[in-house]
Amino acid sequence: MKKSNDFVYSIIVRVVFIIVALVIWEVAARQNLFGENSEVIFPTLGSIGKAFISNFTEGYAGISFWVYISNSLRLLVTGLAIGVFASFILSGLSMISRGFYHIFNLVVSIFDLLPGVALLPVIIIMFGIKEEVIILLVVHAVIWPMSRNVLDGFMAVPKIYVEAGTNIGLKGLSLLTGVYLPAAMSYIISGLKVGWARAWRGLLSAEMIFGIATCPGIGMYINQMRTNMNNAEMYATLIVIIIIGLVVQYGILTPIENCTVKKWGMSK
Amino acid sequence: MMEKILEVKDLRMVYNNTSEEKLVIEKMNLDVEKNEFLCILGASGCGKTTLLRCIAGFEKYEGEILVNGKKCATPGTDRIMVFQDFNQLFPWKTVEKNIQYPLKKQGIKDKAELKRLSDEALKKVKLKGYGHYYPYQLSGGMKQRVAIAKALALKPEIILMDEPFAALDAMTRNKLQDELLTISEEENCTIIFITHNIQEAIVLGTRIMVLSQGGEILIDEKNPISRPVSPSSKGYGELWNQLHEALYKKNKK
Repeated sequence: MKKSNDFVYSIIVRVVFIIVALVIWEVAARQNLFGENSEVIFPTLGSIGKAFISNFTEGYAGISFWVYISNSLRLLVTGLAIGVFASFILSGLSMISRGFYHIFNLVVSIFDLLPGVALLPVIIIMFGIKEEVIILLVVHAVIWPMSRNVLDGFMAVPKIYVEAGTNIGLKGLSLLTGVYLPAAMSYIISGLKVGWARAWRGLLSAEMIFGIATCPGIGMYINQMRTNMNNAEMYATLIVIIIIGLVVQYGILTPIENCTVKKWGMSK
Repeated sequence: MMEKILEVKDLRMVYNNTSEEKLVIEKMNLDVEKNEFLCILGASGCGKTTLLRCIAGFEKYEGEILVNGKKCATPGTDRIMVFQDFNQLFPWKTVEKNIQYPLKKQGIKDKAELKRLSDEALKKVKLKGYGHYYPYQLSGGMKQRVAIAKALALKPEIILMDEPFAALDAMTRNKLQDELLTISEEENCTIIFITHNIQEAIVLGTRIMVLSQGGEILIDEKNPISRPVSPSSKGYGELWNQLHEALYKKNKK
């Protein structure tokens, strides 16, 4: 009973907050704060809503907004998959070889500090402007924080699980998949959270810095809207970016958490 | 002539933590016979847990440990350890899956057979119907029962128990002692059981050992008291005094 009350309360509080924020926006937008072109710079909710719909119905230069979204998501998913897979392989190898562990630890520390956007010029000079470059940036964004979490997770596995595992005949790969992976699950999930968020931001930045004509994405769309002074469309695109983020958080990450660490009583 | 199931020959164990070397077991020889319930008593730091960990294959040691005449230096399912720590079950598996997983690794693939084996093991520890619970939903005593069920299901040569009841309250502890006693009488299993508790050793053991610093064996004899043992059993007081004296006298030095 108490739990459901808490849930209802959390929903009410959030809804009230959103309504208040929107009202403030609308009132501010009608004050013409930015002079005579205020409606263009700071559009009302109505024109943002219209732009939101026309984004999808009309798109830009004959290309539907869906194409931009699907391009971005395709690059994101490809990069995420490669990055997550690689970080499992590399972290797994680190558990097998002590020397590799030290080297990989150093590499993670170095590259985790390098923003993907800072690497962009170097990568462009090497590979030119193509979609693989964006995938590379996404991989870069996800692989280091993910590896850091997986490594820390493996290191934090209680000795008793490892001993119980070896006692029942697990070793090498079976010990890794049978004990280390599930035992480190809460670290892995927080790695996924950080990794995906960085990848999403990295992807949009890269798309804004150079749009690829053959593979236009959401970041490029924002830039095109800016050059055309389609500000309401710009805001509407930001909303789409937020919605995608929320869908990933509540539609993918939270369910993963619920059917692993929460279900196992390893996290509250 | 009884069958020797375990032989420990000239066991010597030195811990190399950081720069300090600590001699835990100086030189130990020990034979355990099939179906024996050996209780090992000893003060903290006398090397009893180390002995068990050496037998389980978790430590590197000098000397030889043989199970059924075969050397064993690495962990194996012929020697299953029941730890003191309640968190020895995998939290990501249900009770049932915790018991079935090692069996699966042994090559039993048939689902119905696995289910039958885990049900049977749970029944032995009086946890029928708890198969679908996750470990975090169980009390400490129940977790220890599952750990024992897991060991029983594997039918190991030896079950190694490292103070499995030490962290339980007195009532639960007595109950689990009774149950373990019944199990050990019904099953054909050899158990080495480590404890600080004299009463526990007398109630459970068919053979009782007292260890002192460096793994020196002070007392090693068959339990003369007929089962079931209670404080009013004939000879209980004398045995208790003898064990108590051996346990505490040596430590006063």
